[in-house]
Amino acid sequence: MLKKLLLGSVMALGFAGSASAETVNILMEGVPDTEYVKALVPEFTKETGIEVNLEVVNYAEMHTKLVPQLVAPKGSYSAIVVDFYWVGEFAKAGWMQPLDDRIKADNFDTSAYIPALMDLVGKVDGTTYMLPFYNYAMGLTYRTDLLADAKNQADFKAKYNMDLRVPETWDEYLKQVEFFTKDGFYGVVNQGLRPDPIAMEWSNYLFANGGEYHDASWKPTLNTEAGVKAIEQYSANVNKYGPVGSASFGFDEAFNVMAQGKAYSYITYNFFRTAYDDPSKSAVVGKVEIMPVPGPTADKGGSLNGAWGWAIPKSSPNPDAAWTFLKWVESKEITKKRALAGGSPTRTDVFDDPDVLAKYPYYPALKKLLLTSHNFAVFTYTPQLVEVLGRELSLAVAGEKSPQDALAAIEVEFTELAKKDGKLQ
Amino acid sequence: MRPGWRNIIPHIVLSVFSLAILLPLIWVVRVSLTDKLTAYKIPPEIGHVGIENYIEIFSTYPFERWFFNSLIVALASTAIALPLATAMAYAFARFNTGGAFLRLGVLASQMLPPIILVLPLFTLFFSTGLMQTRLGLILAHLTISLPFLAWMLVSFFEGDSASLEEAARIDGATRWQAFIKIAVPVAAPGILAAGLLGFILSWNEFLFALVLSGADSQTLPIGLASMETHAGVEIAPLAAATVVSLLPVFALLPFLRKYLIKGLSLGALK
Repeated sequence: MLKKLLLGSVMALGFAGSASAETVNILMEGVPDTEYVKALVPEFTKETGIEVNLEVVNYAEMHTKLVPQLVAPKGSYSAIVVDFYWVGEFAKAGWMQPLDDRIKADNFDTSAYIPALMDLVGKVDGTTYMLPFYNYAMGLTYRTDLLADAKNQADFKAKYNMDLRVPETWDEYLKQVEFFTKDGFYGVVNQGLRPDPIAMEWSNYLFANGGEYHDASWKPTLNTEAGVKAIEQYSANVNKYGPVGSASFGFDEAFNVMAQGKAYSYITYNFFRTAYDDPSKSAVVGKVEIMPVPGPTADKGGSLNGAWGWAIPKSSPNPDAAWTFLKWVESKEITKKRALAGGSPTRTDVFDDPDVLAKYPYYPALKKLLLTSHNFAVFTYTPQLVEVLGRELSLAVAGEKSPQDALAAIEVEFTELAKKDGKLQ
Repeated sequence: MRPGWRNIIPHIVLSVFSLAILLPLIWVVRVSLTDKLTAYKIPPEIGHVGIENYIEIFSTYPFERWFFNSLIVALASTAIALPLATAMAYAFARFNTGGAFLRLGVLASQMLPPIILVLPLFTLFFSTGLMQTRLGLILAHLTISLPFLAWMLVSFFEGDSASLEEAARIDGATRWQAFIKIAVPVAAPGILAAGLLGFILSWNEFLFALVLSGADSQTLPIGLASMETHAGVEIAPLAAATVVSLLPVFALLPFLRKYLIKGLSLGALK
């Protein structure tokens, strides 16, 4: 009797909630873009009758939670969101369903996406596994009021014999960093925490000097003049032109220094741009603008690209309903609504939309940023490469290794990882 | 009466140590009443003061769901663990059930890193439909609290209560009556202390709750962690949520303080 009762209650509790109409379960991270999707979900349920259940967890824990679900023959999640870090791993493990047949059958137009984003969180070796969800490419945020100040302009002209203006090249920007560092005010704040924050931020320095992670055959190209200069400049910015402790700042600490009005510039994820205009978070409302990280010449950018993509896992209990949701949430109409709410778009037609431009005048700069941005080395061992970068760059910034030695060590491990993955012969 | 100055030094030392524990809590309460901008001001400023964050955690975040889930899971897992652990501890103490081997086995189960248990539980729960349910979490938390509480309670039954029970048996009580009417009341402080610790263990547990819960069964630790995002830490609402999540423990403490201290020290001595 007791056994029956227990079994009955187990069954009742266990299946509660899954008995109703079709539900799309998605594991997501608690970021603004998730909130914008959540706000629009009732429209989807009204149109299709499909319920959507968004489960929000912390980024650091997402991978831990996802992997057992993806390995299982049948998991709980209808769709997932994939950070570009995981793309190589998930694709190689065969955890994502190819979307090409669905895209073709429904005439879903993927050419609307910015090509670099499609390369990053869309296609892997010619097969489409994801639809780009939102971008978090990095840009240079800087204080417009300080650039416009007449005294600053005169002093800068006297010191460097050039105009103080929105920087067009990387060298011009570095001069401004030096110029603004005085009287307890900093020219720049950096996120030097290892491994992810420093590796991501330093990548911009590498690209800004004209460097890349690897050549077409995946041979590392880091121990070059550009790589060495990038480390030297990064160390100087952390140790000479930034606040004490920035070698161990994550993006939150660094953002707060900038938002408290204590630094001229910060290279960071573009979605922080809106936070500068929120008076509950920022003392510099209306004084900060974003631009692509300047490159070696005026026509080249140095920004690092970053994005999340929507995918349907192999273990999805209801892939058809998941696809119905994906093509709805990535339609022009809904992506435009998300952008108007403050989301970071991935489609060119949203960037060019007059309503969106009227609300966010800095979007042309963001579009240029994405079009000129560079991708990180995306392969199965991306997270491992980030660890190596974090360790070696931190040693170089702390002065315990020369830039050349640090870069040589990174190249050795990068080569091993690329060979292990079959990218490098 | 001691001279005043002799008292002053210990008071200063104790005040410093108390502050070291209290200051972070005070800072959290202070941040919960202001915004992110003021929270990070150096030097600190009074700035804006209000209860918006407390409203926000209920309007923007599903805080009441996290809280309710945590409460159900912690209460239920403790309610199931406590009688079982009491009976188990009694059996260990009186009858030496399973000998040293079983006792060590119970302790050894606590030495396993929880991640080892998570994956088998994941597979098991999936095939039984317990995945992402509160009942699943309650069972998972039992794997932590049951051995811990049993081990803690053994010492409470090893003391004088054995001779009291014998006296009761001579007066005609059955074994069951002796257990319920003599042994359990004598060990009550320990049982209450163990219950409180079991509640706190479950209330704070993270890994099982992370992997085994779903959107509807998320507990407070998972919810609070989700406020630290890729786009920065929502420090002000997070502080408000932390303050509210501390309330049950604060509410329980005055009632159980004397039992907790007595229970812990009794266990420590034996």
